[in-house]
This record gives sequence, C-alpha cells and structure tokens, in this order.
Amino acid sequence: MLTNKYQHISPMSRRGFVQGTAAVGGAALLSGGWAREAFAQDRSTTMVIAAPATPQSLDHEFDVSLGTIDSVGALYDNLLGYEKVTDPEDPDARREDISVRADKPYNLALTGKLAEKWELTEDGQTARFWLREGVKSNWGNELTAEDVRWTWVRKLHLTGLGPFQTSVINIKEEDQIKAEGRYVVSFHSPKPSPLLLKQMVNLSNPVYDATKCKEVSSSDDSWARKFLQNESAGFGPYKMKQIVRGQQAVFEAREDYYLGAPFMKTVIMREVPTSAARVSLLERGAVDIAQFLQPLEYVSLKGPGVAVDSVAASFSIWLELNAKMPPFDNPDVRRAINYALPKDEVLKTVYQGLADKQIGCIPKIYPMFNSEFWNYDQDLDKARELLGKAGHGDGFNTSLSYNAGDPAQEQMAILFQTSLKEIGVELQLNKVPAATFYNQVTNRSEPIIFYLDSPWVPDPGYSTQLYFHSKSYVNYSNYTNDKVDALIEQGLQTTDTEERRRVYDEVQKIVMDEVPWGFIAYPRYNLARKADLKGFTYYTSNNLRFQDFHREGA
Amino acid sequence: MSSNLEWEKESSLSGQATSTAHPIHAAPGARARSRLARARGKTGYFFAAIRQHPEFGLGYVIVVGIVLVGLLAPWIAPYSPVTADPSQYLEPPSWQHPMGTDSSGMDILSRVMFAPRIDLTIAILGTLVSAVIGTLLGAVVGYYQSARGLRAISCDAIVRASDVLQAFPVFVFAIALVAIFGQSIQSIIAAIAFVNIPIYLRLTRSQVISVRNTRYVEAAIVCGVGDLTIIRRHVIPNAIAPVLAQLSVNIGFAIILTAALSFVGAGVRAPAPEWGSMIAMGFQNVTTGQWWPSVFPGLALAVTVFGFALVGASIEFLSDPEQRATIVARKGGARPA
Repeated sequence: MLTNKYQHISPMSRRGFVQGTAAVGGAALLSGGWAREAFAQDRSTTMVIAAPATPQSLDHEFDVSLGTIDSVGALYDNLLGYEKVTDPEDPDARREDISVRADKPYNLALTGKLAEKWELTEDGQTARFWLREGVKSNWGNELTAEDVRWTWVRKLHLTGLGPFQTSVINIKEEDQIKAEGRYVVSFHSPKPSPLLLKQMVNLSNPVYDATKCKEVSSSDDSWARKFLQNESAGFGPYKMKQIVRGQQAVFEAREDYYLGAPFMKTVIMREVPTSAARVSLLERGAVDIAQFLQPLEYVSLKGPGVAVDSVAASFSIWLELNAKMPPFDNPDVRRAINYALPKDEVLKTVYQGLADKQIGCIPKIYPMFNSEFWNYDQDLDKARELLGKAGHGDGFNTSLSYNAGDPAQEQMAILFQTSLKEIGVELQLNKVPAATFYNQVTNRSEPIIFYLDSPWVPDPGYSTQLYFHSKSYVNYSNYTNDKVDALIEQGLQTTDTEERRRVYDEVQKIVMDEVPWGFIAYPRYNLARKADLKGFTYYTSNNLRFQDFHREGA
Repeated sequence: MSSNLEWEKESSLSGQATSTAHPIHAAPGARARSRLARARGKTGYFFAAIRQHPEFGLGYVIVVGIVLVGLLAPWIAPYSPVTADPSQYLEPPSWQHPMGTDSSGMDILSRVMFAPRIDLTIAILGTLVSAVIGTLLGAVVGYYQSARGLRAISCDAIVRASDVLQAFPVFVFAIALVAIFGQSIQSIIAAIAFVNIPIYLRLTRSQVISVRNTRYVEAAIVCGVGDLTIIRRHVIPNAIAPVLAQLSVNIGFAIILTAALSFVGAGVRAPAPEWGSMIAMGFQNVTTGQWWPSVFPGLALAVTVFGFALVGASIEFLSDPEQRATIVARKGGARPA
C-alpha cells in the first residue's frame, strides 16, 4: 500500500478528490461547446504568417527589410491610394490600378485615404490635400496637417530613404511643405512634378503621429528614431502588440480605424527562417500564409486547403555590369553578355514559370513601359561577334557575385557560367554571405553582381531616376550618360503625359542599347495561403496589407 | 608460416623499444635482413589483423576505392561535373543519369565521382599540415616540459595557446578563418590545419613526456647529442604511433568539416564538385520530392568517412603491442615478453 506522504499538505480525501474532479470535468464538458466556439471565432479572425524574418526596425526610414515593409503597411497609412481592380491573370487576387487613366483627374486612378480631397495645380508645382477629420492614431491623437508636415520635414533631416523621397519631388526646404490650416497641407515644388501625387501613395511615405513623436523626442533624438524602431505612431489599421525579434511580431486590429476595423483582429508574424519549414507549416494548417518560398516549392504545393496566387509584379532581377570596370566599360561587351545569357532556361528551370523575361529597363507592368527596344534573346554567335569587335575575341576572365541567401541566384550563376564559357568568358562564382552581399552591391566594387529590386512608385521617371541617373544612390552599375540624365530630369519636370511618354521612350531606347545590366527576369509576386483566406491584393511595394484579408465562410 | 612468426616475434621484440639508433653497429647485410624482416612482419600483422577484423579490410577497400574513383574520374565520369544542362534539370535517376541530375542539370554521378579530388585533397592536406606542425610543436613542448627558464615559459605559452584554440567551437572557428582569408581551397586547408594543430600538439606532447624519460634518450643526452637531433631521431619516431592512428580519423573529420563549410556557403566555390556543396544545393529540393541531388553525395560522404574511421581503427589496433601480441597468440606463436 502506498502511503500518502503529501497528506499533510493536501487534506483532500480520496472521495473528495473524485467528487471534485467529476465536478470540474462536468463543467468542462458543459462549457466545452462554448469554448470551442469562442476558439473557432478567435481562430477565424486570427491570421498567422510564417515569415522568413521578423521586422528588424519599425522605422521604415532606415529599414526596407521584408518584415518591416509588411509592418509599415499595417501600422501606418498614406494620404492617397490607388483604386483596386481584379488581377487579369488571377481572379482571386486584386491589384492597384496604376495605368494611365485618361478618364480620371491627373490621369491617375487615385482614391482618398487619410486625405479625402486633393488637387494638383495647373502648373503642376503645388499639391494640396484636405485631410479627413476625426482620424485618430494608435495613441489617440487626431490627424492634422502638422502630422503630415512633420513627417516630411523629418525626411529632410534624416539620412535614410528620406532625401531620395523628397528629392524626386524637388522638396529641399522645410517651407516647401505648409500646413495651410488644421486639416489642409500643401507641397510646393519649384518645378512641375508628375510625382507629387504618386509619392503620397508610396509605402515609403506614411504619415506619423507627430504629437506622439514629439512627446517622446529628446534633445539627442529630436526625430524619435529610437521610439519608432520598436513602436508605431501611425494612423494605420493595426497597432503593434508585441515584437520579439527572431521569434514573432503580433499586430492587433484597431477598432477605431477610420475605414472600419479590419476582419483579422490579430495577426501573428512568426519567424520561420527556412522556406521548407514554412511550406510544411502551411501544408499542416499551422499557418495561414507561408511567405517567400522557392519557386519549386510554390509549384509543388499541394493539398486541398492550400492555394497559391501568382501575379505580375514590380520585381526585377538583373546583373549589374559595372560600367566603370573594364571590360564592362565597353557597351559591346555588355551587349555580348546579354546575348549570351540563357534567359528562357532561367525562367523554366530556376523560376519554374513564376517569372517573366525581363525585356525592358523598367517593370513591364508600369505605365509607359516599352518593349520595342528588346533585342537580346540568346544568340551566342552574335555575342562572339560583339566580343571580337570589342577586342576580346579570345574571351576574358571575370567574376560574378551572388547572394548566399538566395538559392535561385546560385542556380542562375551556374547556368550563366556554362553559357558564358561558350563565348570564352570564364566566370568565377563568388558566393557572398547575405549579411555582406548588399555591402558589395552598394560599394560597386564587383565586376558583375546580382541585384533584385523594385521601384515602388509606378512611374518611369521614378524607376529610371533610381537606376540609371548618374547621381542616384541606387545606380549600382555605375552607368553614366549625360543625355539619359537630362532626359530623366526633363521627364520629372513635366506633367504632360504624352511628353513624358516621348521622353521615357527615348530613355528606354538608349538604356536598352547601352545595356548597363544583364537582363534576366521579372519574378512574379507569389503568395502561398490557406484556400479559405481571401482578399489578397498586390501592391507595387510588394508587401502584404493584413487589412485586405478575410476568411471565407467565417 | 612458422618463419613468418619468427619474423613477427623478432619484430615485436625489437619494434617497441627500437630507436633509429638501434642497428648502428650491425653489419650492412644484417641491417638489410633486419629491415626486410620487419617489413614482412608488419605486412603479416596487417593481413592477420584484417583476418581477425574483416571490417578493417572493408575500410581499406572503401578508401582505396574512393581514391581510385577520384583519380580516374576524368576518364570514367560520364559527363562534365561543372557544365549545366538546363534541358536535363532535376531528372530522377535513370539509365542516362544513374544518380539523376541537379537543379542546374548537372549529372550527379559525375559530380560524386569528381568530388573526392577536392574533398580528399583538402582533408588530406589539411590533416597532414596540422599533423606535421602539431607533432613538431608537441615534441618540442613535451621535450622541454621539465626545463626551466625561457624554454619552459615558451612551452607553457604554446600549450595554453592551444588550450585557447581548442576552447573555440571548431566549426565556428573554421568559418571565421575562411571568412578572414577568403573563400578558396587554400583557405579551407589552412582552416582545417589550424583547428587540428592542438589535437596533434597535445597527443604528441603526452607521448613525448614519457619517451623523454626513457634510457635511450638519457643515453643520447649523456653522449652529448644535441636536443634537436634527439627530438628528430629518437623522440619523434617513438612517439609517432598515436599520431598515425589519429591521422585517418582526422581525415574523416576533415572531410565532414569541408562538407559542412561548403554546406553553409563558406567552402569551395560553386559549381566545384564537392559533397557538402552538392548536399547544400540539393537540400531545398528534398521537401519538394527531388531527393537525389542531396542523398547520393550524402551517401558518398558517409561511406568515405566510415572508411577512414575503419582505417584509423585498424592503425590504432596495429600500433598497439598488446593487440599485436594477441594476433601472434591466435596464430599459435609465443606471446612476446
């Protein structure tokens, strides 16, 4: 017989224990239905995302990582947005209408967000916005013109993305941004600017709660940098409930959101570094969305409860051919490389059909994109001829650096090595750790390096200014052409759509002739999700907006 | 057979205590006979050990087989190991590609066959460099263990430095070294050598400390033989056996380390055929059903390391006088005193 040595601690008799257990069990059974219902209710309004990483910083001014841009889309809001249309290839998906709309004011299909009314003066130099009244931030402060002004002045004072965002609309001084009333704010550009309105849609330009930011600022941090790294102060549909970097970020829906509370009350972004594990979690139903999978994983996803959306996107992947480094300072060598690259094979084997051939120097989904200047389908004879013309008939040795964190780049690099060998170019492959890869890109020290990017503003001027203007910080191929610089600037100083089309046709023609890039692919934006999760909408900033989603049947 | 046993006995009796100074006064003919007898005795031990432990034989077959495959790969591999063929990407095993193809369309069998040229080169060179440096340092440190003054301080410093090196996780340390010196085969060899030096240093030092106190070393000192000569001719040859046994084990470990470095992207450059890099390139495909790009190089890696482990075990076995005496006893010979 076992002696109860804990009897003095627990005076309950055996009969009492059995009776108590029965009572608790009975209560649990009775309440079980309610609990299940409550849980099911919670589950249907909770969205779990398996993401490669949690956000590093919540301050988008200094961080453009994947987790951060998803967070910014949830925590903040912009003055304007684009109207939405159904994606022409995926009926389950919606996307922004970024086309040139002659039937709309300023040829843009804009819709009000924080601004309920807007105007661009006839000279194209001043944009004025009338803000919604009564919009509250997650700290309870009302949106005013001062919030918008402070947000843009902050950009002028910090050294992150701000200087570029302000310079493309010719804002250089604080007094170009004016609070004309409590709810009216204006931006004045000394020259006509076709981007004044489009920049207000850009995810890079959300509006901060200036009242809260000023409250937490200090003499050594007058722009609330430390605060905004870990907290949000915005007018978006969610607020940050918890962030444990490396583990998860939890977003809580705001019931007082001015466009109505989002369907998903809680969004959990869970860090799952390997794509195989993210696939597994989705297939087992443990998460609602598995982000950024490998192409083969997308096409291999199966299971009745799983769906994949694949839409044309603003992404491009190309080789930066360093135009200041011999032999790539010779356009004929760059053309030869372009003729030698096996683009069709890359689309088929590496991207599994989830990318389109990059046939231009701006995203093909953008207005004024022109594919007429594409002339670089694989032609090894032509490549050899051009190399001979450039004085490299016997070929040469060079290197290609690629990101160790992106398996697709290694696959492409091996294909390129084999192809270039056929024209006598010996390619040494340098696998660069993800942590240092972008340093190599920005240092512009490599002869050839991969680059994957997207210009978020759907505008040819914004795109070409980013990548081909000689003074741009993102012109990683060191491409310089005075005429191209002048044309890009000309196009950014007129609001005449036809004039802009003519100018950017010319820019695309020159760039496609001088090919500072090795053109590869336009990867599509893919989303692996549970089949009952609906509402996916594609944005040119290539991020999710949690507020778009709802659960079918819930 | 009986004559063999005589040689074995002779060798076993002379082998352990014999320094290289042993046959100095023997006539040339006798010296030659003695060497022949020792050689035949060692061969006899070798085959007897394999008969007693057939797995040792398997180890030698694996190692010799892998080395031969690596050497003959340019002639026997059916395809180029570094040429991509997009029209054949991720083909499952078939008669055309017995181990299938990878995501770039490269033939896995050909790459598996070429891989020993890189893996074994790195592993053997890295291990040999570490063994030579570690053994020399260990011999000097062990020899001067009981010295005083600057020598003792220097030896202590070397031992403590090796303690510090050993305190680092080997893999992380190797990654750091490759990151510092750049991604090349030479860097990987240097990294493998560097992380293994303390092993040989400590192994040799412990042996040398006991050899240092033997009569023949003391005799050499009394005769006025210089320290370096004593270390080179009397100490190292008598302290080397455990090092030799460790070599094979370390080569296996170095192959794994090379593969691991490649797996995390710090190893050889793509598309060089190397087992670890092949596993890394293919592991993403395992979850989508294409298991062959990773599994075959993984098997080759496992079998090779297993082979070197068996060879290491056999060397350890053969260098142990007790075990050799067991062989002699089993063959019916007298157990040496």
